[in-house]
Amino acid sequence: MSVLAGKELRIVGFLCNWCSYGGADTAGVARATQPTDLRIVRVPCSGRIDPLFILRALLHGADGVLVSGCHPGDCHYAEGNYYARRRLEILKQFLPVLGIDPRRFEYTWISASEGQRWQLAVTKFTQQIHELGAAPAFENAEKLIQIADMALTALRPLGTGQHAALADLKKAIVEKLPELDCVIGWQQSYDAAHSAPLFMRKPEDVEKLVWGPLNVNNLATYLPQYKGKKVGIVVKGCDSRSVTQLLQEGLINRDDVVVFSMPCEGTLDMARINQALGAYQHIDKVAYDEAGVSITADGKEHRFCMVEYAQGKCYSCATPGAVLADVRLGTPTPVTGTPATPPELALLDSMSLSERFAFWHTQMERCIRCYACRNACPMCVCRDYCVAESRDPHWLTQEDTATEKFFFQTIHALHLAGRCTGCGECQRACPVGIPILALRQQIARAVAQTFEGYRPGMNAKATPPLMGFTVEENNIKEKDWNK
Amino acid sequence: MSIVYYPGCSAAGTSSDYEKSTQAVCDALGMSFTPLPDWNCCGSTPAHATSTELSAALSVRNLDIAAKMGAEKVATPCPSCLSNLRLAKKRMEKPEFRARVDELLDEASSAELPQTYSVMQLIYEKYGSEFVAHRVQRPLKGLKVACYYGCLMSRPADIMADFGHPENPQVMESLLRACGAEVVEFPLKTECCGASHGIPERQLTANLSGKILETAQNMGIDALVAACPLCQMNLDLRQKQAGKAMGKEFALPVFYYTQMMGMAFGIKLSALGLNKLVVSPEPVLKKWQAALKEGVCE
Amino acid sequence: MRIGVFICHCGSNIGGTVDCAKVAALAATFPDVVYATDPMYTCAEPGQAAIEEAIKNYQLDGVVVASCSPRMHEPTFRRTVERAGLNRYMFEMANIREHVSWIGKDIEANTNKAAELVKMAVAKLRNNKALHAASFDVNKKVLVIGGGVAGIQAALDCAEGGIPVVLVEREATIGGKMAKLDKTFPTVDCSACILGPKMVDVAQSPNITTYAYSEIESISGYVGNFTVTIRKKTTYVDWSKCTGCGACTEKCPSKKTPDAFNEVTGLTTAITIAFPQAIPKKAVINAQHCKKLLTGKCGVCAKTCPTGAINYEMKDELVTETVGAIVAATGYDLVDWTQYEQYGGGRYPDVITSLQYERLLSASGPTGGHIVRPSDGKEPKNVVFIQCVGSRDRSIGRPYCSGFCCMYTAKQAVLTKDHMPDSQSYVFYMDIRANGKLYDEFQRRAVEEYGTEYIRGRVSKIYPDGKGHLIVKGADTLLGQAVEVEADLVVLAVGVEAAKGAARLAEKLRISYDSYGFFMESHVKLKPVETNTAGVYLAGVCQGVKDIPASVAQGSAAAAKVLSLFSKDKLQSDPQISQVDIKRCIACGKCVQTCPFGAIELFDFRGQQKARVIETVCQGCGLCTATCPQGAIQLAHFTDNQILAEVDALCQC
Repeated sequence: MSVLAGKELRIVGFLCNWCSYGGADTAGVARATQPTDLRIVRVPCSGRIDPLFILRALLHGADGVLVSGCHPGDCHYAEGNYYARRRLEILKQFLPVLGIDPRRFEYTWISASEGQRWQLAVTKFTQQIHELGAAPAFENAEKLIQIADMALTALRPLGTGQHAALADLKKAIVEKLPELDCVIGWQQSYDAAHSAPLFMRKPEDVEKLVWGPLNVNNLATYLPQYKGKKVGIVVKGCDSRSVTQLLQEGLINRDDVVVFSMPCEGTLDMARINQALGAYQHIDKVAYDEAGVSITADGKEHRFCMVEYAQGKCYSCATPGAVLADVRLGTPTPVTGTPATPPELALLDSMSLSERFAFWHTQMERCIRCYACRNACPMCVCRDYCVAESRDPHWLTQEDTATEKFFFQTIHALHLAGRCTGCGECQRACPVGIPILALRQQIARAVAQTFEGYRPGMNAKATPPLMGFTVEENNIKEKDWNK
Repeated sequence: MSIVYYPGCSAAGTSSDYEKSTQAVCDALGMSFTPLPDWNCCGSTPAHATSTELSAALSVRNLDIAAKMGAEKVATPCPSCLSNLRLAKKRMEKPEFRARVDELLDEASSAELPQTYSVMQLIYEKYGSEFVAHRVQRPLKGLKVACYYGCLMSRPADIMADFGHPENPQVMESLLRACGAEVVEFPLKTECCGASHGIPERQLTANLSGKILETAQNMGIDALVAACPLCQMNLDLRQKQAGKAMGKEFALPVFYYTQMMGMAFGIKLSALGLNKLVVSPEPVLKKWQAALKEGVCE
Repeated sequence: MRIGVFICHCGSNIGGTVDCAKVAALAATFPDVVYATDPMYTCAEPGQAAIEEAIKNYQLDGVVVASCSPRMHEPTFRRTVERAGLNRYMFEMANIREHVSWIGKDIEANTNKAAELVKMAVAKLRNNKALHAASFDVNKKVLVIGGGVAGIQAALDCAEGGIPVVLVEREATIGGKMAKLDKTFPTVDCSACILGPKMVDVAQSPNITTYAYSEIESISGYVGNFTVTIRKKTTYVDWSKCTGCGACTEKCPSKKTPDAFNEVTGLTTAITIAFPQAIPKKAVINAQHCKKLLTGKCGVCAKTCPTGAINYEMKDELVTETVGAIVAATGYDLVDWTQYEQYGGGRYPDVITSLQYERLLSASGPTGGHIVRPSDGKEPKNVVFIQCVGSRDRSIGRPYCSGFCCMYTAKQAVLTKDHMPDSQSYVFYMDIRANGKLYDEFQRRAVEEYGTEYIRGRVSKIYPDGKGHLIVKGADTLLGQAVEVEADLVVLAVGVEAAKGAARLAEKLRISYDSYGFFMESHVKLKPVETNTAGVYLAGVCQGVKDIPASVAQGSAAAAKVLSLFSKDKLQSDPQISQVDIKRCIACGKCVQTCPFGAIELFDFRGQQKARVIETVCQGCGLCTATCPQGAIQLAHFTDNQILAEVDALCQC
């Protein structure tokens, strides 16, 4: 059995039991004629509605989703709808980057006595969905390959850290080491063109520490597993925001962490470097100068200028220095101007909704479901208990479809809403090079626009926007839809 | 180009004394306005009694000229003009209304129209009573006065909210106290004087103005101070009619607040148009000058 | 799983626009459905019996009824399946009446929609689990907040029922606003004479502990087991020694202290007993006016006191009480009428509030019951009453009717004539609202027998004419003309708003309040005494404007609710609450941070931090479930899997 062909579209409603479900009942009692498309899922409170229910519906065939709760101030549970308002608003702003028309999702407030208002809301929403027509199916999207334009200007000089105070840093670590279980930094990896995390426990380990544009890993990822032990960590500015965010969420203790900071001059985009190097047998030489790196592999020299080969996030980076540190070395880097839209997001911004759908479908078909994105994410603290691999709750099937894989990315992005510091480790870790950072960047943009410029990882004392609310929201105009 | 001055029709006629003294006071304070070229009547009561759109169109034409000059604000001494100009701007927020007005104007008016303020509000907000007091050369010593705003200066409440309490504004009191006068709280400061009913229903205006004058006189004041050309005319020119209605004889001079301020600023009396007042201001001036002299002797 | 589906015709209510037989036939094809039928009236006795029979005959372990709204009959059918031996939560409803048959006449679309709603219900039911209520002990003691007539009534009824009562009153005496009234409408009974005995009963009841001059500091816990901290404010008098003899008040030299009990119509001493019938009858020092406390010099009261009760060093004291239920009866305060600049904004001494007028009328008031003008102490002749000052006025954000002003204004007009036969009263009114027993009759008497002149219209201005009178200027909308009345005294019927601090108390009680500060009842019509927090009940004006009989009735109603709650030794908690999967919990604390009820706490589980739900506090909103990223906390009966099953039943087809 399916939707009455040509007559109805698939519209799902999530209604709170106390106000809106009652309002829909009131409309029924008043015999208020309504379109028949909508099917209502009853939940106790709009605060119970995980935005992912809505995405699940929209990605799996719903043409529209309508959410309704008690009016702000009238929540049966006092505050549930205040939280819902923020979460649903961010969802609404998230949909376009996925390629879903945001008008396919609306949320409103209707009380148990407002039967007529409910009738109008259903009628208006159904009409709105009929005007949009049936939603395109993700699985049927066409092929579209596009690559982000990385020709960007940085907000500060990019360099290779040749004059960095590495010796001072080593000295400082050796001094602190006796009080600490270990200090996390970077060392050369399998060859001189790559780096890897370094766990320094003895003073001689410190000698292996390196500093430069190859230090791409965000070492904050390792901190939560050390909770309860005293550790040191060397950070770039972006890494320090992850440390701050972990502190804010109580996932690590401030007293247990010693942060060593050096001003970062930018890191290299290893995906493009590796692509340029191609398959090689041996690295002959890695030479740094102030503007870039020259890597000689199998006798062939490759030149990588920082201004051309930095990671996308480095161009718009406004925090080259750490936002918090116990030991600061080197001189702070001046930052001028305001950040431009990150390149991955700019690419999506330039597309139409259907192009975005096609773009993501093409990308997601390549996903091998390795979860490296999740494992590299410093904020993915659920680790072994990720809903991706659980049956209770059973959010994802093991079906190998682009939709399921895309749904996982939306889960990751929404779980990070208001928490993601934009470090880009998810995208860097992706072995097939899917620009998934764009999804997190869109949410970060929505959060900043909606909550007075809030940026995660800047203040360990702040309340993350989706974990709080205000009675009047300055930038949320949800009442406009259903006036 | 920030503040454009809209005098209103009365300024060019019956209240030339108000206009003269307003200019003199603003000059003395250093407040400069750009004149609004080619202005027209705001439509006053006849226009809005005929059609809201007509009234708005007349006002909007002025605001539109000001907008095209790049004006941030429009200043007017007349509360009735103020009310019409403000209401017109407010009503233009509604697209359907704007469309009808633009139809009357035969062109699309500026999307952003400047807001209008009374000269009194601008003086008060720009200079404050402290600066005004500093500017005073001949304080209004010995003068007991009451302030009378009329019904439009502070109302309707929603469009004049920035002026103070609609039933009990205090701006004029502050300014005159700064000028050294003893100002009594006048309970009827925002009651209607009868306004333009003075022409079709003379008795009604006589009754309403009479009530105001009677209460004012009972308070033992030397003068009533007004801020509206029409109110001043009703209370001053029609004072005999009002007296007849009340069965009393009134002899209460009715000044414009700008005349009082001008006196305090030491501006020549002839530049304030005092000669235009119907009820003679002589007793007030004499009392004031005597008090000033007394001060010198002390 | 074996599921039975019942598609109700509800006579023609559903059957008229839904092909119920077809829906039942379709339902029979859904997964796990072993039996489907379409009875005429499922909720009727035979309908319910048929469900019970089917459960037995087909060994059903889950039932779906498609009929009316679950808000209507879910409890009914839960009991039905329980009678047949199923767990009551192995039941789901599909709403095919209010949401289908009543809102459209297209039989094809309705039938299709009904079948899909049934499909969703079946999909959810397949994920349902049996849930069992836990039981817990009840502390059979009640806290009553507010000692006005509503609180007094609630306290007395509970005490009569054998329940220990803790009564907390903010002022120095119980009695509330009613104690300030001279007479009450419509019988013109002396207020003190009818309230006084009740106050004495409170004092004498062995079951009631009264904390006067005290406020609620904090409340924690849940129904059956609340812990309350009470702040006993500093009185500077040791009440255990004070006998209420009043010697101190006679000797106190600070005789210019505004008299709060008399609504500042008179002056009193810095040490004072509110009024002769005060309960408790104890003295309190007003620290703002006491010479000893302000300057360190005086101490007359300490010297005078025969029992040595005065203690200038006294500090606030916190006491803790544990109770099982709470009645909030915090009453009201008057709207700040001084924002009416057109009425003088408080500058004219002869414009007073009706509560001040009560004190002037009262024989125990500052004038001994003589009506005099505050300005010159002269007896007024023309008294003008203005109604709806701060009521039914959108311009000041008070659009509601204060309810009892029409009646007390009529009463005050009657009393004015009684006190001063030569006087004339005028009442400016908008509408007369006299809908109580004997009310309209009384109001008519004020007009017909007492010659009160009622003028229908608003007053635009009150101003002194400069000769000692006040001119009240308004419109007479019946005659369509302006009127002016020369008044000697103007009495404003000032509107009512929630007591100051009501919103703060509501936060402590975790109950909702409206934009005016009135506490929200659980259901505006059917649960006017309960709140959304179990074990917290409402009485009196704190819930909404009402007069004395209604306040007393609600006080008794709240007491009845408390007694009925306490009739059980154990309470059952609703099992539709959140549960933590301890394996999956990483103790990030996001649920703890967002729970509106403080129902989740972190605890140490074998050396690891984990979250757990305090079963009796959780209200079942599910905010935590939507917040937990790894889905470790699940709201029972609305789990992720249950909702996902409903979504999938709809979308993946």
